[in-house]
Amino acid sequence: MPLIKLQSSDGEVFQVDFDIAKASVTIKTMVEDLGLEDDDEEIVPLPNVNAGILKKVIQWATYHKDDPPPADDDEGREKRTDDISSWDADFLKVDQGTLFELILAANYLDIKGLLDVTCKTVANMIKGKTPEEIRKTFNIKNDFTAAEEDQVRKENEWCEEK
Amino acid sequence: MPFISKDWRSPGEVWVKTEEGWEKKKILECCNFLLGQQNNLLTRYSVTKHCNKEESETSDNWNDIKSTEEKENKGSINHYKRPRTKYTSESQYDGVIQPHCHITIKCTKEIAGFNGLSEALKRLDFRSAVHDARRFHYICKLLDLLISHKLNTLSGCAQRVLFNIIEEVARQVSQSQQNKHMLDHLLGQLREVVECACWGRPLGSTILWEQHLNTINRIHEIADRIEIHQPGDNEEPQFEQLPEECVREVLLRLADHRDLERSAHAWGVMARLVDELRIWRELCQFHFSPRQIQSMVESSPSTSEDWQLIYHKLRKCYGLREEYAEMIQLCRNCRCLFWHSIGHPCIADTDPNFMEKLEDVDKNSLYVPIPPQAFLKFFSL
Repeated sequence: MPLIKLQSSDGEVFQVDFDIAKASVTIKTMVEDLGLEDDDEEIVPLPNVNAGILKKVIQWATYHKDDPPPADDDEGREKRTDDISSWDADFLKVDQGTLFELILAANYLDIKGLLDVTCKTVANMIKGKTPEEIRKTFNIKNDFTAAEEDQVRKENEWCEEK
Repeated sequence: MPFISKDWRSPGEVWVKTEEGWEKKKILECCNFLLGQQNNLLTRYSVTKHCNKEESETSDNWNDIKSTEEKENKGSINHYKRPRTKYTSESQYDGVIQPHCHITIKCTKEIAGFNGLSEALKRLDFRSAVHDARRFHYICKLLDLLISHKLNTLSGCAQRVLFNIIEEVARQVSQSQQNKHMLDHLLGQLREVVECACWGRPLGSTILWEQHLNTINRIHEIADRIEIHQPGDNEEPQFEQLPEECVREVLLRLADHRDLERSAHAWGVMARLVDELRIWRELCQFHFSPRQIQSMVESSPSTSEDWQLIYHKLRKCYGLREEYAEMIQLCRNCRCLFWHSIGHPCIADTDPNFMEKLEDVDKNSLYVPIPPQAFLKFFSL
Protein backbone atom coordinates (compact mmCIF):
# COMPACT_ATOMS: atom_id res chain seq x y z
CA MET A 1 0.00 0.00 0.00
CA PRO A 2 1.34 3.43 -0.86
CA LEU A 3 2.43 5.60 2.01
CA ILE A 4 2.26 9.36 2.00
CA LYS A 5 3.93 11.88 4.24
CA LEU A 6 1.96 14.58 6.00
CA GLN A 7 3.65 17.54 7.62
CA SER A 8 1.98 19.36 10.48
CA SER A 9 2.16 23.12 11.03
CA ASP A 10 4.97 22.68 13.56
CA GLY A 11 7.07 20.65 11.16
CA GLU A 12 6.52 17.10 12.36
CA VAL A 13 6.16 14.55 9.53
CA PHE A 14 3.75 11.62 9.75
CA GLN A 15 3.89 8.66 7.40
CA VAL A 16 0.37 7.48 6.70
CA ASP A 17 -1.20 4.83 4.53
CA PHE A 18 -2.95 6.53 1.62
CA ASP A 19 -6.05 4.42 2.29
CA ILE A 20 -6.29 6.06 5.70
CA ALA A 21 -5.34 9.57 4.60
CA LYS A 22 -7.96 9.62 1.86
CA ALA A 23 -10.66 9.98 4.52
CA SER A 24 -9.69 13.61 4.11
CA VAL A 25 -11.10 14.89 0.83
CA THR A 26 -8.59 17.74 0.93
CA ILE A 27 -5.62 15.37 1.03
CA LYS A 28 -7.22 12.99 -1.47
CA THR A 29 -7.73 15.68 -4.13
CA MET A 30 -4.33 17.17 -3.42
CA VAL A 31 -2.60 13.85 -3.97
CA GLU A 32 -4.66 13.00 -7.04
CA ASP A 33 -4.14 16.42 -8.60
CA LEU A 34 -0.42 16.33 -7.98
CA GLY A 35 -0.23 12.70 -9.12
CA LEU A 36 2.11 11.59 -6.37
CA GLU A 37 3.67 8.18 -6.97
CA ASP A 38 4.57 5.45 -4.52
CA ASP A 39 8.24 6.19 -4.47
CA ASP A 40 7.84 9.94 -4.29
CA GLU A 41 9.56 11.68 -1.45
CA GLU A 42 7.04 14.51 -1.73
CA ILE A 43 5.64 15.77 1.56
CA VAL A 44 2.08 17.09 1.85
CA PRO A 45 2.15 20.21 4.02
CA LEU A 46 -0.85 20.87 6.28
CA PRO A 47 -0.21 24.38 7.60
CA ASN A 48 -3.48 24.58 9.55
CA VAL A 49 -3.06 21.50 11.73
CA ASN A 50 -0.56 21.06 14.55
CA ALA A 51 1.16 17.77 15.37
CA GLY A 52 -0.98 16.89 18.40
CA ILE A 53 -4.24 17.33 16.53
CA LEU A 54 -2.95 15.66 13.35
CA LYS A 55 -1.99 12.66 15.43
CA LYS A 56 -5.53 12.44 16.82
CA VAL A 57 -7.04 12.87 13.36
CA ILE A 58 -4.88 10.03 12.03
CA GLN A 59 -5.90 7.89 15.01
CA TRP A 60 -9.57 8.54 14.22
CA ALA A 61 -9.15 7.88 10.49
CA THR A 62 -7.25 4.64 11.19
CA TYR A 63 -10.05 3.32 13.38
CA HIS A 64 -12.73 4.25 10.85
CA LYS A 65 -10.89 3.28 7.65
CA ASP A 66 -13.13 0.28 6.97
CA ASP A 67 -16.41 2.04 7.74
CA PRO A 68 -18.98 1.69 4.97
CA PRO A 69 -19.98 5.03 3.45
CA PRO A 70 -23.17 6.36 5.07
CA ALA A 71 -26.34 5.29 3.28
CA ASP A 72 -27.96 8.07 1.25
CA ASP A 73 -31.47 7.13 2.25
CA ASP A 74 -30.73 7.49 5.95
CA GLU A 75 -32.24 10.93 6.37
CA GLY A 76 -31.78 12.74 9.59
CA ARG A 77 -28.64 10.87 10.55
CA GLU A 78 -27.12 14.28 11.11
CA LYS A 79 -29.66 15.25 13.74
CA ARG A 80 -29.48 12.05 15.76
CA THR A 81 -26.96 13.51 18.16
CA ASP A 82 -27.03 10.61 20.61
CA ASP A 83 -25.99 8.24 17.85
CA ILE A 84 -22.29 8.37 18.66
CA SER A 85 -20.42 5.09 18.84
CA SER A 86 -18.78 4.23 22.12
CA TRP A 87 -15.33 4.42 20.57
CA ASP A 88 -15.99 7.92 19.27
CA ALA A 89 -17.48 8.97 22.59
CA ASP A 90 -14.31 7.86 24.37
CA PHE A 91 -12.14 9.40 21.70
CA LEU A 92 -13.86 12.75 22.20
CA LYS A 93 -13.51 12.84 25.97
CA VAL A 94 -11.12 15.77 25.65
CA ASP A 95 -11.07 19.36 26.82
CA GLN A 96 -13.03 21.94 24.86
CA GLY A 97 -9.94 23.42 23.23
CA THR A 98 -8.99 20.07 21.70
CA LEU A 99 -12.58 19.42 20.66
CA PHE A 100 -12.77 22.72 18.80
CA GLU A 101 -9.35 22.18 17.23
CA LEU A 102 -10.62 18.83 15.96
CA ILE A 103 -13.64 20.59 14.44
CA LEU A 104 -11.34 23.09 12.73
CA ALA A 105 -9.09 20.31 11.45
CA ALA A 106 -12.02 18.19 10.23
CA ASN A 107 -13.42 21.25 8.47
CA TYR A 108 -10.11 22.13 6.83
CA LEU A 109 -9.22 18.56 5.89
CA ASP A 110 -12.83 17.94 4.81
CA ILE A 111 -13.40 14.74 6.81
CA LYS A 112 -17.19 14.41 6.95
CA GLY A 113 -17.40 11.70 9.58
CA LEU A 114 -15.11 13.44 12.03
CA LEU A 115 -16.85 16.79 11.55
CA ASP A 116 -20.19 15.10 12.11
CA VAL A 117 -19.26 13.41 15.35
CA THR A 118 -17.44 16.42 16.82
CA CYS A 119 -20.32 18.77 15.98
CA LYS A 120 -22.77 16.30 17.52
CA THR A 121 -20.71 16.33 20.68
CA VAL A 122 -20.92 20.13 20.83
CA ALA A 123 -24.65 20.06 19.98
CA ASN A 124 -25.17 17.70 22.92
CA MET A 125 -23.55 20.29 25.15
CA ILE A 126 -26.14 22.86 23.97
CA LYS A 127 -29.25 20.69 24.20
CA GLY A 128 -31.75 21.61 26.87
CA LYS A 129 -29.68 24.45 28.32
CA THR A 130 -30.90 28.00 28.89
CA PRO A 131 -29.12 30.83 27.04
CA GLU A 132 -27.33 31.71 30.28
CA GLU A 133 -26.15 28.12 30.73
CA ILE A 134 -25.00 27.93 27.11
CA ARG A 135 -22.91 31.05 27.63
CA LYS A 136 -21.38 29.56 30.74
CA THR A 137 -20.66 26.20 29.11
CA PHE A 138 -18.70 27.80 26.29
CA ASN A 139 -17.42 30.87 28.10
CA ILE A 140 -19.27 33.13 25.66
CA LYS A 141 -19.46 36.80 26.55
CA ASN A 142 -22.96 38.20 26.45
CA ASP A 143 -23.01 40.46 23.42
CA PHE A 144 -26.61 41.60 23.75
CA THR A 145 -27.53 44.98 25.22
CA ALA A 146 -30.05 45.17 28.03
CA ALA A 147 -32.70 46.43 25.60
CA GLU A 148 -32.08 43.51 23.26
CA GLU A 149 -32.30 41.08 26.17
CA ASP A 150 -35.68 42.54 27.08
CA GLN A 151 -36.82 42.16 23.52
CA VAL A 152 -35.65 38.55 23.53
CA ARG A 153 -37.51 37.82 26.74
CA LYS A 154 -40.73 39.16 25.26
CA GLU A 155 -40.23 37.11 22.12
CA ASN A 156 -39.61 34.10 24.28
CA GLU A 157 -42.87 34.47 26.14
CA TRP A 158 -44.61 34.71 22.84
CA CYS A 159 -42.81 31.58 21.63
CA GLU A 160 -43.91 29.58 24.65
CA GLU A 161 -47.54 30.45 23.94
CA LYS A 162 -47.67 29.47 20.31
CA MET B 1 -35.48 -19.15 52.25
CA PRO B 2 -37.96 -21.27 50.31
CA PHE B 3 -41.10 -19.55 49.20
CA ILE B 4 -44.27 -21.28 48.15
CA SER B 5 -45.64 -19.94 44.93
CA LYS B 6 -49.12 -18.65 44.28
CA ASP B 7 -50.59 -22.00 43.24
CA TRP B 8 -48.95 -23.82 46.21
CA ARG B 9 -47.56 -26.53 44.01
CA SER B 10 -44.41 -25.33 42.28
CA PRO B 11 -41.25 -25.24 44.37
CA GLY B 12 -41.30 -21.43 44.33
CA GLU B 13 -38.48 -18.97 44.24
CA VAL B 14 -35.43 -18.81 46.40
CA TRP B 15 -35.21 -15.37 47.95
CA VAL B 16 -32.14 -13.57 49.20
CA LYS B 17 -31.98 -10.59 51.50
CA THR B 18 -29.92 -7.72 50.10
CA GLU B 19 -29.26 -4.18 51.20
CA GLU B 20 -32.12 -3.04 49.07
CA GLY B 21 -34.56 -5.63 50.35
CA TRP B 22 -35.53 -9.16 49.39
CA GLU B 23 -34.68 -10.28 45.91
CA LYS B 24 -35.19 -13.45 43.88
CA LYS B 25 -32.00 -15.42 43.65
CA LYS B 26 -32.29 -16.01 39.91
CA ILE B 27 -32.38 -12.27 39.26
CA LEU B 28 -29.44 -11.67 41.54
CA GLU B 29 -27.47 -14.29 39.68
CA CYS B 30 -28.25 -12.59 36.42
CA CYS B 31 -27.44 -9.14 37.81
CA ASN B 32 -24.30 -10.40 39.46
CA PHE B 33 -23.07 -11.38 36.08
CA LEU B 34 -23.68 -7.84 35.01
CA LEU B 35 -21.92 -6.39 38.00
CA GLY B 36 -19.00 -8.62 37.25
CA GLN B 37 -19.01 -7.46 33.71
CA GLN B 38 -18.88 -3.83 34.68
CA ASN B 39 -15.71 -4.46 36.55
CA ASN B 40 -14.39 -6.43 33.65
CA LEU B 41 -14.43 -3.42 31.46
CA LEU B 42 -11.92 -1.86 33.76
CA THR B 43 -9.79 -4.92 34.24
CA ARG B 44 -10.37 -7.75 31.92
CA TYR B 45 -8.56 -10.14 34.20
CA SER B 46 -11.10 -9.95 36.94
CA VAL B 47 -13.58 -11.76 34.70
CA THR B 48 -12.15 -15.15 35.28
CA LYS B 49 -11.29 -14.45 38.87
CA HIS B 50 -14.78 -13.24 39.53
CA CYS B 51 -16.44 -16.26 37.96
CA ASN B 52 -14.25 -18.66 39.84
CA LYS B 53 -14.99 -16.94 43.07
CA GLU B 54 -18.66 -17.15 42.43
CA GLU B 55 -18.55 -20.85 41.74
CA SER B 56 -16.55 -21.62 44.82
CA GLU B 57 -18.81 -19.72 47.17
CA THR B 58 -21.71 -21.58 48.68
CA SER B 59 -25.11 -20.06 48.76
CA ASP B 60 -24.86 -19.58 52.52
CA ASN B 61 -22.67 -16.55 52.30
CA TRP B 62 -24.31 -15.26 49.20
CA ASN B 63 -25.52 -12.24 51.12
CA ASP B 64 -22.02 -11.20 51.94
CA ILE B 65 -20.85 -11.42 48.39
CA LYS B 66 -23.81 -9.47 47.25
CA SER B 67 -23.43 -6.72 49.79
CA THR B 68 -19.71 -6.27 49.28
CA GLU B 69 -20.25 -6.23 45.60
CA GLU B 70 -22.95 -3.66 45.96
CA LYS B 71 -20.55 -1.46 47.86
CA GLU B 72 -17.83 -1.90 45.30
CA ASN B 73 -20.33 -1.12 42.69
CA LYS B 74 -21.52 2.04 44.35
CA GLY B 75 -18.05 3.26 45.06
CA SER B 76 -16.80 2.94 41.57
CA ILE B 77 -19.99 3.66 39.71
CA ASN B 78 -18.52 6.83 38.29
CA HIS B 79 -15.99 4.85 36.34
CA TYR B 80 -18.63 2.97 34.46
CA LYS B 81 -19.44 5.75 32.10
CA ARG B 82 -18.04 3.89 29.14
CA PRO B 83 -21.01 2.75 27.09
CA ARG B 84 -20.99 -0.99 27.12
CA THR B 85 -21.58 -1.71 23.51
CA LYS B 86 -18.62 -4.01 23.38
CA TYR B 87 -20.64 -6.77 24.95
CA THR B 88 -21.05 -8.91 21.90
CA SER B 89 -17.39 -9.36 21.30
CA GLU B 90 -16.54 -9.51 24.98
CA SER B 91 -19.20 -12.02 25.78
CA GLN B 92 -18.00 -14.33 23.07
CA TYR B 93 -14.59 -13.91 24.55
CA ASP B 94 -15.55 -14.55 28.11
CA GLY B 95 -18.65 -16.68 27.76
CA VAL B 96 -20.65 -14.22 29.87
CA ILE B 97 -24.36 -13.77 29.25
CA GLN B 98 -25.66 -10.48 27.88
CA PRO B 99 -28.58 -8.81 29.66
CA HIS B 100 -31.80 -10.14 28.17
CA CYS B 101 -35.29 -11.00 29.32
CA HIS B 102 -37.69 -13.64 28.10
CA ILE B 103 -41.22 -12.47 27.79
CA THR B 104 -44.71 -13.82 27.17
CA ILE B 105 -45.89 -11.76 24.25
CA LYS B 106 -49.65 -11.96 24.51
CA CYS B 107 -50.17 -10.70 28.02
CA THR B 108 -53.51 -12.09 29.15
CA LYS B 109 -54.93 -11.82 32.64
CA GLU B 110 -53.78 -15.32 33.50
CA ILE B 111 -50.13 -14.87 32.72
CA ALA B 112 -49.88 -11.18 33.64
CA GLY B 113 -48.23 -12.17 36.90
CA PHE B 114 -45.32 -13.73 35.07
CA ASN B 115 -44.35 -10.61 33.14
CA GLY B 116 -42.96 -8.54 35.97
CA LEU B 117 -41.75 -5.04 35.14
CA SER B 118 -39.26 -4.88 37.98
CA GLU B 119 -37.71 -8.17 36.92
CA ALA B 120 -37.46 -7.06 33.30
CA LEU B 121 -35.87 -3.74 34.22
CA LYS B 122 -33.29 -5.56 36.28
CA ARG B 123 -32.62 -8.30 33.79
CA LEU B 124 -32.18 -5.79 30.99
CA ASP B 125 -29.73 -3.90 33.17
CA PHE B 126 -31.47 -0.54 32.78
CA ARG B 127 -29.55 0.88 35.68
CA SER B 128 -26.18 0.80 33.99
CA ALA B 129 -27.66 1.32 30.52
CA VAL B 130 -28.41 4.86 31.69
CA HIS B 131 -24.72 5.64 31.32
CA ASP B 132 -24.77 4.83 27.62
CA ALA B 133 -25.58 7.97 25.63
CA ARG B 134 -27.17 5.88 22.90
CA ARG B 135 -29.69 4.36 25.28
CA PHE B 136 -30.19 7.30 27.63
CA HIS B 137 -33.12 8.89 25.78
CA TYR B 138 -35.03 5.65 25.40
CA ILE B 139 -34.80 5.03 29.11
CA CYS B 140 -35.80 8.60 29.95
CA LYS B 141 -38.88 8.32 27.76
CA LEU B 142 -39.81 5.10 29.49
CA LEU B 143 -39.31 6.67 32.92
CA ASP B 144 -41.38 9.66 31.84
CA LEU B 145 -44.27 7.43 30.77
CA LEU B 146 -44.06 5.41 33.95
CA ILE B 147 -43.96 8.37 36.30
CA SER B 148 -46.60 10.47 34.62
CA HIS B 149 -49.22 7.81 33.99
CA LYS B 150 -48.43 4.53 35.67
CA LEU B 151 -46.75 5.16 39.00
CA ASN B 152 -49.94 4.40 40.90
CA THR B 153 -50.36 1.01 39.28
CA LEU B 154 -46.78 -0.16 39.83
CA SER B 155 -45.91 -2.64 42.53
CA GLY B 156 -43.79 -1.43 45.41
CA CYS B 157 -40.87 -3.40 44.06
CA ALA B 158 -41.20 -1.88 40.60
CA GLN B 159 -41.41 1.58 42.16
CA ARG B 160 -38.18 0.95 44.00
CA VAL B 161 -36.44 -0.16 40.81
CA LEU B 162 -37.83 2.89 39.06
CA PHE B 163 -36.49 5.29 41.68
CA ASN B 164 -33.11 3.57 41.58
CA ILE B 165 -32.95 4.12 37.83
CA ILE B 166 -33.89 7.79 38.23
CA GLU B 167 -31.11 8.16 40.77
CA GLU B 168 -28.74 6.71 38.22
CA VAL B 169 -30.03 9.20 35.64
CA ALA B 170 -29.30 12.02 38.10
CA ARG B 171 -25.74 10.77 38.57
CA GLN B 172 -25.21 10.51 34.84
CA VAL B 173 -26.57 14.01 34.23
CA SER B 174 -24.43 15.45 37.00
CA GLN B 175 -21.35 13.76 35.63
CA SER B 176 -21.87 14.58 31.96
CA GLN B 177 -23.48 18.01 32.49
CA GLN B 178 -25.82 17.12 29.67
CA ASN B 179 -29.57 16.56 29.43
CA LYS B 180 -30.30 18.39 32.65
CA HIS B 181 -33.68 19.35 31.22
CA MET B 182 -34.59 15.66 31.12
CA LEU B 183 -33.80 15.22 34.78
CA ASP B 184 -35.70 18.40 35.69
CA HIS B 185 -38.66 17.18 33.70
CA LEU B 186 -38.66 13.79 35.43
CA LEU B 187 -38.33 15.37 38.85
CA GLY B 188 -41.16 17.79 38.09
CA GLN B 189 -43.42 14.90 37.15
CA LEU B 190 -42.36 13.02 40.23
CA ARG B 191 -43.12 15.96 42.50
CA GLU B 192 -46.70 16.11 41.26
CA VAL B 193 -47.25 12.45 42.00
CA VAL B 194 -45.59 12.55 45.39
CA GLU B 195 -47.60 15.58 46.49
CA CYS B 196 -50.88 13.80 46.00
CA ALA B 197 -49.74 10.61 47.77
CA CYS B 198 -52.23 9.50 50.36
CA TRP B 199 -53.54 6.33 51.93
CA GLY B 200 -54.40 3.78 49.32
CA ARG B 201 -52.34 4.41 46.25
CA PRO B 202 -49.56 5.23 45.53
CA LEU B 203 -48.86 5.01 49.24
CA GLY B 204 -48.93 1.29 49.96
CA SER B 205 -46.56 0.24 52.67
CA THR B 206 -45.55 3.22 54.81
CA ILE B 207 -42.04 1.89 55.33
CA LEU B 208 -41.53 1.35 51.63
CA TRP B 209 -42.92 4.78 50.84
CA GLU B 210 -40.51 6.35 53.33
CA GLN B 211 -37.68 4.57 51.56
CA HIS B 212 -38.92 5.99 48.29
CA LEU B 213 -39.04 9.49 49.78
CA ASN B 214 -35.44 9.08 50.94
CA THR B 215 -34.40 8.09 47.45
CA ILE B 216 -36.30 11.03 45.97
CA ASN B 217 -34.56 13.38 48.40
CA ARG B 218 -31.21 11.94 47.43
CA ILE B 219 -32.03 12.49 43.77
CA HIS B 220 -33.03 16.09 44.46
CA GLU B 221 -29.76 16.63 46.32
CA ILE B 222 -27.78 15.36 43.34
CA ALA B 223 -29.84 17.52 40.99
CA ASP B 224 -29.39 20.63 43.11
CA ARG B 225 -25.64 20.20 43.22
CA ILE B 226 -25.27 20.11 39.44
CA GLU B 227 -23.33 23.12 38.35
CA ILE B 228 -21.98 23.88 34.93
CA HIS B 229 -18.21 24.02 34.72
CA GLN B 230 -16.88 26.95 32.82
CA PRO B 231 -13.83 26.26 30.67
CA GLY B 232 -10.75 28.24 31.60
CA ASP B 233 -9.85 31.37 29.65
CA ASN B 234 -6.56 29.81 28.61
CA GLU B 235 -8.11 26.88 26.76
CA GLU B 236 -7.56 27.64 23.10
CA PRO B 237 -9.41 27.91 20.82
CA GLN B 238 -12.66 29.02 22.45
CA PHE B 239 -16.10 28.47 20.99
CA GLU B 240 -16.24 32.16 20.08
CA GLN B 241 -13.17 31.73 17.91
CA LEU B 242 -14.70 29.11 15.66
CA PRO B 243 -15.53 30.33 12.15
CA GLU B 244 -19.23 30.74 11.35
CA GLU B 245 -19.27 27.70 9.07
CA CYS B 246 -18.32 25.47 12.00
CA VAL B 247 -20.90 27.03 14.33
CA ARG B 248 -23.48 26.52 11.58
CA GLU B 249 -22.53 22.83 11.39
CA VAL B 250 -23.22 22.54 15.12
CA LEU B 251 -26.59 24.30 14.84
CA LEU B 252 -27.58 22.06 11.94
CA ARG B 253 -27.35 19.13 14.32
CA LEU B 254 -29.93 20.46 16.76
CA ALA B 255 -33.29 18.80 16.22
CA ASP B 256 -35.43 20.96 18.50
CA HIS B 257 -36.58 24.51 17.78
CA ARG B 258 -36.30 25.42 21.46
CA ASP B 259 -32.59 24.60 21.43
CA LEU B 260 -32.16 26.76 18.34
CA GLU B 261 -34.05 29.67 19.90
CA ARG B 262 -32.09 29.47 23.13
CA SER B 263 -28.79 29.30 21.23
CA ALA B 264 -29.84 32.40 19.33
CA HIS B 265 -30.44 34.20 22.61
CA ALA B 266 -27.07 33.20 23.98
CA TRP B 267 -24.83 34.72 21.35
CA GLY B 268 -25.20 37.24 18.52
CA VAL B 269 -23.36 35.06 16.00
CA MET B 270 -25.70 32.15 16.62
CA ALA B 271 -28.70 34.49 16.46
CA ARG B 272 -27.64 35.51 12.96
CA LEU B 273 -27.11 31.90 11.88
CA VAL B 274 -30.43 30.72 13.30
CA ASP B 275 -32.14 33.29 11.07
CA GLU B 276 -30.85 31.48 8.00
CA LEU B 277 -33.44 29.61 5.96
CA ARG B 278 -31.29 26.52 5.60
CA ILE B 279 -31.40 25.61 9.28
CA TRP B 280 -35.20 25.66 9.39
CA ARG B 281 -35.56 23.96 6.02
CA GLU B 282 -33.41 21.05 7.18
CA LEU B 283 -35.30 20.93 10.45
CA CYS B 284 -38.53 20.54 8.47
CA GLN B 285 -37.01 17.85 6.30
CA PHE B 286 -35.93 15.95 9.39
CA HIS B 287 -39.24 16.01 11.21
CA PHE B 288 -41.75 15.80 8.36
CA SER B 289 -42.22 13.81 5.18
CA PRO B 290 -41.92 15.56 1.79
CA ARG B 291 -45.66 15.11 1.32
CA GLN B 292 -46.55 16.81 4.57
CA ILE B 293 -44.25 19.70 3.72
CA GLN B 294 -45.63 20.01 0.22
CA SER B 295 -49.25 20.05 1.29
CA MET B 296 -48.46 22.72 3.89
CA VAL B 297 -46.63 24.88 1.34
CA GLU B 298 -49.48 24.50 -1.14
CA SER B 299 -52.17 25.33 1.36
CA SER B 300 -50.56 28.66 2.24
CA PRO B 301 -48.47 29.87 -0.69
CA SER B 302 -47.60 33.13 1.05
CA THR B 303 -45.32 31.31 3.47
CA SER B 304 -43.49 29.30 0.82
CA GLU B 305 -40.13 30.84 1.69
CA ASP B 306 -40.47 31.25 5.43
CA TRP B 307 -39.28 27.87 6.63
CA GLN B 308 -39.43 28.88 10.26
CA LEU B 309 -43.15 29.58 9.95
CA ILE B 310 -43.69 26.40 7.95
CA TYR B 311 -41.90 24.44 10.64
CA HIS B 312 -44.07 25.78 13.44
CA LYS B 313 -47.25 25.17 11.45
CA LEU B 314 -46.20 21.60 10.65
CA ARG B 315 -45.19 21.03 14.24
CA LYS B 316 -48.61 21.97 15.53
CA CYS B 317 -50.24 19.90 12.84
CA TYR B 318 -48.27 16.64 12.99
CA GLY B 319 -46.08 16.73 16.09
CA LEU B 320 -42.33 16.13 16.09
CA ARG B 321 -40.54 12.97 15.11
CA GLU B 322 -39.36 10.84 17.98
CA GLU B 323 -36.17 8.91 17.52
CA TYR B 324 -33.82 6.88 19.62
CA ALA B 325 -30.28 5.89 18.75
CA GLU B 326 -30.99 2.52 20.26
CA MET B 327 -34.12 0.66 21.26
CA ILE B 328 -34.95 -2.54 23.05
CA GLN B 329 -35.50 -5.28 20.47
CA LEU B 330 -37.67 -8.36 20.52
CA CYS B 331 -36.27 -11.57 19.05
CA ARG B 332 -39.10 -13.47 17.41
CA ASN B 333 -37.27 -16.78 17.67
CA CYS B 334 -36.94 -16.98 21.40
CA ARG B 335 -39.32 -14.20 22.50
CA CYS B 336 -36.60 -12.41 24.23
CA LEU B 337 -36.15 -8.68 24.87
CA PHE B 338 -32.63 -7.38 24.53
CA TRP B 339 -30.52 -4.30 23.72
CA HIS B 340 -29.71 -4.09 20.05
CA SER B 341 -26.02 -3.29 20.40
CA ILE B 342 -25.41 -5.98 23.00
CA GLY B 343 -27.25 -8.87 21.44
CA HIS B 344 -28.62 -11.88 23.31
CA PRO B 345 -28.06 -15.61 23.54
CA CYS B 346 -30.56 -16.84 20.94
CA ILE B 347 -31.85 -20.42 20.74
CA ALA B 348 -31.50 -20.16 16.99
CA ASP B 349 -27.72 -19.99 17.42
CA THR B 350 -27.47 -23.11 19.54
CA ASP B 351 -30.11 -25.39 18.05
CA PRO B 352 -29.17 -26.77 14.60
CA ASN B 353 -32.77 -27.85 13.87
CA PHE B 354 -33.97 -24.37 14.48
CA MET B 355 -31.27 -22.95 12.27
CA GLU B 356 -32.38 -25.13 9.37
CA LYS B 357 -35.92 -23.87 9.73
CA LEU B 358 -34.70 -20.31 9.62
CA GLU B 359 -32.78 -20.68 6.40
CA ASP B 360 -35.56 -19.41 4.17
CA VAL B 361 -36.82 -16.74 6.55
CA ASP B 362 -36.02 -13.08 6.05
CA LYS B 363 -33.38 -12.38 8.67
CA ASN B 364 -34.32 -8.72 8.90
CA SER B 365 -37.76 -9.46 10.26
CA LEU B 366 -36.47 -11.56 13.13
CA TYR B 367 -35.81 -8.63 15.43
CA VAL B 368 -38.53 -6.11 16.12
CA PRO B 369 -37.65 -2.74 17.65
CA ILE B 370 -39.86 -1.99 20.64
CA PRO B 371 -40.71 1.68 21.24
CA PRO B 372 -41.18 2.73 24.89
CA GLN B 373 -44.99 2.65 24.71
CA ALA B 374 -44.94 -0.87 23.28
CA PHE B 375 -42.47 -1.98 25.93
CA LEU B 376 -44.94 -1.12 28.68
CA LYS B 377 -47.73 -3.04 26.93
CA PHE B 378 -45.90 -6.30 27.64
CA PHE B 379 -46.49 -5.64 31.30
CA SER B 380 -50.14 -4.67 30.87
CA LEU B 381 -49.22 -1.06 31.60
